[in-house]
Amino acid sequence: MLATPAPPPLPSLVDARRLRSQRIGRALRLWVPAGILIGLLGICFVLPLVVTLPSSTNGNIIYNNEAPFSPGHLLGTNVQGVDIFSQLVYGGQLTFEISLSVTLIGVVIGGTLGVAAAYFGGWADAVISRVLDILLAFPALVLALVIAEGLGPSELHLIWALAVFAIPAQGRVARGATLTVRGLSYMTAARLSGTRPWRIITRHVLPNILPGIVTFSLLGIGIVVIIEGAIDFLGYGIQLPQASWGSMITQGQNIESVQPEYVLIPSIALVITVVALNMLGDALRERWGVQ
Amino acid sequence: MALVQQIQLQREAGARDRARRLTGSPALRVAGRRLLSAIPVLIGVTFLTFSVMSLLPNDSAQAILGLNASPSAVAALNHTLGLDQPFWQRYWHWLVNVLHGNFGTTLEGGSVNHELAIHVPTTLELLLYALVVSVALSVVVAALAARRPNGIADRIILTVSMLGLSTAPYAFAFLLIIVFSVKLTWFPVLSGAVAGPGSFFKNLTLPAAAIGFGLFAIYTRLLRADMVDQMQREDYIVTAKAKGVPPWRVLLRHALRNSLFTLITVVGLNLGGLVGAAAIIETIFQVQGIGNDLITGISNHDVPLIEGITLVFALVTVFGNLLADLAYAVLDPRIRYGSSNS
Repeated sequence: MLATPAPPPLPSLVDARRLRSQRIGRALRLWVPAGILIGLLGICFVLPLVVTLPSSTNGNIIYNNEAPFSPGHLLGTNVQGVDIFSQLVYGGQLTFEISLSVTLIGVVIGGTLGVAAAYFGGWADAVISRVLDILLAFPALVLALVIAEGLGPSELHLIWALAVFAIPAQGRVARGATLTVRGLSYMTAARLSGTRPWRIITRHVLPNILPGIVTFSLLGIGIVVIIEGAIDFLGYGIQLPQASWGSMITQGQNIESVQPEYVLIPSIALVITVVALNMLGDALRERWGVQ
Repeated sequence: MALVQQIQLQREAGARDRARRLTGSPALRVAGRRLLSAIPVLIGVTFLTFSVMSLLPNDSAQAILGLNASPSAVAALNHTLGLDQPFWQRYWHWLVNVLHGNFGTTLEGGSVNHELAIHVPTTLELLLYALVVSVALSVVVAALAARRPNGIADRIILTVSMLGLSTAPYAFAFLLIIVFSVKLTWFPVLSGAVAGPGSFFKNLTLPAAAIGFGLFAIYTRLLRADMVDQMQREDYIVTAKAKGVPPWRVLLRHALRNSLFTLITVVGLNLGGLVGAAAIIETIFQVQGIGNDLITGISNHDVPLIEGITLVFALVTVFGNLLADLAYAVLDPRIRYGSSNS
């Protein structure tokens, strides 16, 4: 997981300007997506506290179908006269809450399982790996839809349904990373000097597999955002009158030939979020030398 | 007599030899071990499906008979359907039937086998179409990008593939519909039944594009990264260049050939996610495949149908992984299975 970074080019062959532009490029690749994400989180969570936004669930039918940039409605209103910008903001809150908690659950449970499997090996590994295989082979979408249909749609149910799919993925990554680390000589040294397993795991394994897990989690959040949208989109996730990005796309679907922006606005929000997450993941991977 | 016996003996020895050679082949041993380890996974998936399905309200009999049916009639039908039996008994019954190739009956009374026989081919056609086109395109595009890393072509390709990676398939599907069905009217908004090559392209091109864009992005990024990495650090590339092999040939014959192994693995591992994407895309375009069937099944609480389709999905995932492993073992002589780090 921790590859040796590429050998630095010989100093005499590169000029200072090129080195500087490389450094700036690397900084930009990290901070532009990070800035976009901080901005999006700010818009979704801080902005509604500062500014009074129009209601995201109720609208006046008199002001329906207003075009973007009309007075009082930054992105216009939908068929029911609900402000689209407010829907986007509150839908974004749901999206971020769900995707972050799903990934957190995945990292904690999946990570524990993966590390335990790889560190202890033998039967523990065989059993845990098979369980993870089963969860991986099980179509996540089916599970989420059936839970929503059987237990009733709610944010909490959605989170647990999606976590069932995040756990095996994180478990696999943690297991692979731990296996790589386990063979390294400082692990043998730690074991030879009589360090207890718990201490080896917390002091030697975790710090070394963390970069891989963090970068994978960023990509994972992006995937969860898309799948969460898919479930809302199929009508089994967040229910009306609450809006999410996925359900906004569905609503827009019915009137797409009239005004494509109903579909385009939430889609663009979705794409920007996921692109920023992916780019941040890539930048961190480059910085930390994770493969 | 003695001669006949000798020939017999020789034959047996030959057969034994052949058998030993077969069992001795590493690829076959891997295949055997992998197939064996797939069995508990498949059983686990069916059990998980069955447990999850018990979350659904147990109202199949009511749904069949209608809301006005008398409780005694409902109880009687429950009994005939075996729904009043305990969980383990129902699971065992279902598992034995599946092993005999019988997936049960849908709520509407048709057999699940029939339902699958109609809908699985459509989904397979759709997925294969998406897969073949995206793999072919990504090989060409990745070679173009890797030829000059950080060049203009490379940057454009990286940007497009990043977009593909980050676009939700269902959102992209709408974009396709707006542009190609509503504005240009090249393709129908809703796909009809597929019959013959003409209607295949007409009905399945947009859904396949919606599924394939994300795949294309993943494969392209992967191939490009792998090829660039090889071009920069592998000795055989230096050797080839030093021999005076033209750059294009080095890229295609030396770098691309090796990168294709990685691609094959990823294609195999991705098959599972692919069937999930198919479910959403099929609903949007109303393609009559199992994905569409699954969504209808879930809203109708059609438990046998959902179980059958989930099993098909799981089979595809497990065998995708299996094929990826096998292809790797057969194609890459460096892989020695048996060492425990994977």
